[in-house]
Amino acid sequence: MTLTLAIHSSKGGTGKTSIAMNLAVAFASAGKNTCLIDLDLRGPSLHSMFEPKSHFWINDFLSGKCSIKDTLTDFKKEMNTKAHLYMSFSNPDIREIRDLVSKDRDWQASALKALMNGKRELSEKDLDVIIFDTSPGVEYESINAVAASDMVIIVHNDTNACNSCTEQLINGVYSLLDKKCGIIENMSHNNCLDIIDKKRYGVPVLSTIPCMCEIATRGKDEILVHTDPEHLFSKSIVSIKEKIEAMK
Amino acid sequence: MDSELLEQIVTNLKEINSKLDKLIVQVENRDEQISEKERIMADSLDVITLLSLPDHLRTTATTLFEIGPATADEISKITNKERAVESNYLNQLVRMNHVRKYREGRKVYFRINDSLKKK
Repeated sequence: MTLTLAIHSSKGGTGKTSIAMNLAVAFASAGKNTCLIDLDLRGPSLHSMFEPKSHFWINDFLSGKCSIKDTLTDFKKEMNTKAHLYMSFSNPDIREIRDLVSKDRDWQASALKALMNGKRELSEKDLDVIIFDTSPGVEYESINAVAASDMVIIVHNDTNACNSCTEQLINGVYSLLDKKCGIIENMSHNNCLDIIDKKRYGVPVLSTIPCMCEIATRGKDEILVHTDPEHLFSKSIVSIKEKIEAMK
Repeated sequence: MDSELLEQIVTNLKEINSKLDKLIVQVENRDEQISEKERIMADSLDVITLLSLPDHLRTTATTLFEIGPATADEISKITNKERAVESNYLNQLVRMNHVRKYREGRKVYFRINDSLKKK
């Protein structure tokens, strides 16, 4: 059965996209057919690391212009992964982002339905894992992604802003939608990999990733799980992958 | 003295008139907003509406989203509730216009309402 993950956070700049990309490569390298979908429609980022080869964007699928399969590009060869590594990109054109802002509740309701149907369509394609990279906070697109997922991976950093909002999201959104959750403490200033709290806000902490400038600088051009599997960050990602699989 | 009083009364009446006009505009705007809200609530089951549903209806609606068109019996097997209970919840969602009910042969199916205006 396909496992669907939403990578979400209460605030921006917590490292969601980096975690999402590395997790996708880790799953595909471990032989799981994986699909990473950029649902950060208002601030797309996946295209900055990978070059889309499909004529369709995920925006076209959500608007009912194509099938979800039409939006996919396979990076198996490029990333040398054991299994397929599909990606679906969000359109970075400012006109598309501007157009999205004017979409109403009816469009968002049909986008949610499309996402649910797309997930079922991908499950039939023998995909093992679907990862939604979302926009932060309570944006329609990100809550749609949460509703369409089996599990929410909360990327959290220890700032006051994040602390006060994450608990609200857990109680006011994830729990109401009956989603399993796991927290990744990212950019931690404790400078150790030990998980200090086993649970935070009643949710299991999957990993603590120390703040390392190297991740920010090398991560601009590299997927560390792919280029440097022995790196502390890569090891953390693999350990998160294993914990997610155990939570299924 | 009389003319002063009269002037005062006219000024006060003008003021009252202006306040009444403002109130009428406010009430009309509020009514328009309410009817727009009712229209939105009735036409679309978006994720924010889903979050505002009571727990029992939200579970039923989420399950219907997950598995697509289904009978009350199929939903009840997933939610572990009695078929009759699920049937009741589904019919409540039908009355709220969030779900459509239709017959195929002898079975009654439910699906998320998609009579949405495509924009």
